[in-house]
Amino acid sequence: MSDLAIDARGLTKNYRSARGITDVDLEVRRGESYGFLGPNGAGKTTFIRLCLGLLHPQAGSVAIFGHNVATDRSRALAEIGYLPGELSLYGSLSGTATLEMLSRLHPRSPVRRGELLDVLGLTAADIRRPVRQYSRGMKQKLGLVAALEHDPPLAILDEPTGGLDPVVQLQLTDWLRERVDTGMTIFFSSHILSEVESLCDRVAMIRDGDLLLVRDVNDLNLSSMRIVKIRFSSPTDPSAYTSTQISDISVDGTLHECTLQGSPAPLIAALTHCAVEELTMVPLSLEDAFRALYVPSGGESA
Amino acid sequence: MSVMLQLSLVRSRARILTMALGFGLFEYIVGLSYASINHNAIRSLVASLPPALRVLAGQANVASPTGYLGSGYLHPVALTIQGALVISMASAVARDRESGAAELILSRPIAPWRWLTGQAAAVCIALCIVTAGGLIGGLIAVAQVHDLGSVHPASLMLASLAGGLMFLAVAGVTLLISIIATSGARAVGWAAGFVVISYAVNYLASIWTIAKPLGAISIFHHYDPGVITTRGHLSAVDVAALVGLTCVSVAASIVCVQRRELAST
Repeated sequence: MSDLAIDARGLTKNYRSARGITDVDLEVRRGESYGFLGPNGAGKTTFIRLCLGLLHPQAGSVAIFGHNVATDRSRALAEIGYLPGELSLYGSLSGTATLEMLSRLHPRSPVRRGELLDVLGLTAADIRRPVRQYSRGMKQKLGLVAALEHDPPLAILDEPTGGLDPVVQLQLTDWLRERVDTGMTIFFSSHILSEVESLCDRVAMIRDGDLLLVRDVNDLNLSSMRIVKIRFSSPTDPSAYTSTQISDISVDGTLHECTLQGSPAPLIAALTHCAVEELTMVPLSLEDAFRALYVPSGGESA
Repeated sequence: MSVMLQLSLVRSRARILTMALGFGLFEYIVGLSYASINHNAIRSLVASLPPALRVLAGQANVASPTGYLGSGYLHPVALTIQGALVISMASAVARDRESGAAELILSRPIAPWRWLTGQAAAVCIALCIVTAGGLIGGLIAVAQVHDLGSVHPASLMLASLAGGLMFLAVAGVTLLISIIATSGARAVGWAAGFVVISYAVNYLASIWTIAKPLGAISIFHHYDPGVITTRGHLSAVDVAALVGLTCVSVAASIVCVQRRELAST
């Protein structure tokens, strides 16, 4: 069996009315936790659906553990547990009936169902109820159980924490981290940076159908990056506070904006000598991360 | 396939049972009503009708017990019950694609054709149950109404079978439409359009000499339950036409579903 859980080469898929993905090469190693980041409409779901054979590429190919999805779809899918981004369940079925029906369609036994129900806080009474009575969060939990209960070698999760409360999100992240430690490969898409950072070994960023970069998550240090806005009472030279931690400085009159990487203490210390009217620091958003990582301070693409 | 068959039947169980009961009750009432009519009056009424109205009840003599009971299967209520059942169940393929429920299933190692044939088998079983409901209602009426004593149960069974075959053909065409259509609503609309146009073509062919050659392309041309109950046998040509259309449309559906992209639309 191949050491690559996902091996996509030159994958291209465009729609009549919209752009999909273009010439994407992506390798996910066995046992890796891989984050797939991008804003809505970037092509994340298109890539995932190509991996599952639900869409057909116009060019390129994708293999799951060496099984080409176009020619050996059943064997490829037997290795996968999948949570769709827009989960749709049969409202008339109970949670139990849904899990039973879906598990019968998979060759692996649902060996981790009980464990997952505990982790996600779904009780026996919950799963006896018809799915139409479920909240969005409960549906998402049921979808996660269905995707992961058979302990698949590769879990493909499209925005897995949507609708989950923060406590359950943490419990799920811990559980997934444990599974990765025992050899499961996780490929998940998200537009939430902190979620990706807490779980992933590597991340890929996609925008407008193009794969922008693939990096080790440790190299990114995204959580320590902040967007800083400073309003001075009079025009001030940025050299008054610049350091190696500061980048992407823009000045608009008395309003300065920059990206800070690392502890804010040195910047605050430097600003004590300036006439500061207002100071705000906000964590990096996904779009900010794209700007910080993809477009260097010179403004040219990486 | 058995999982998909079971799933489809479980989801539709209330609809199937309600329609079977309703169809049975309707055919029973049709049978009961025969005792309350003046047969000579019906005969002269039918004779006085213009051909354009007379053909609506089929080619059989509706004043006779066999023709009357058989023509009950051509009543709009009977056609609507069976048509609604097969179109609503067969178009589930398109609705599930649209909602994303199909994506959850087809991301498992199940071939698309198995998913489709599971749904097709469920429609077939549901149609058998509803058709049996209508037949039982008719048979109870035959047993209770003295004037229907000349109706042979076997001929009524053949009329039910013919109805089942015709709506199985509608189900096959609806499955094919469901694979091609981009939404559940469109699939239902096109399938209903197919039935209505088919009925209209047969009607025109029956009353207009120029359009007569077109009659054979309509499924209704191959379904006249009044004639079947009167003669007591099915035409081999009609059976071949309906079974042939079913087989061709299901085969085309299987080919299409294997090629089509099945992600939610």
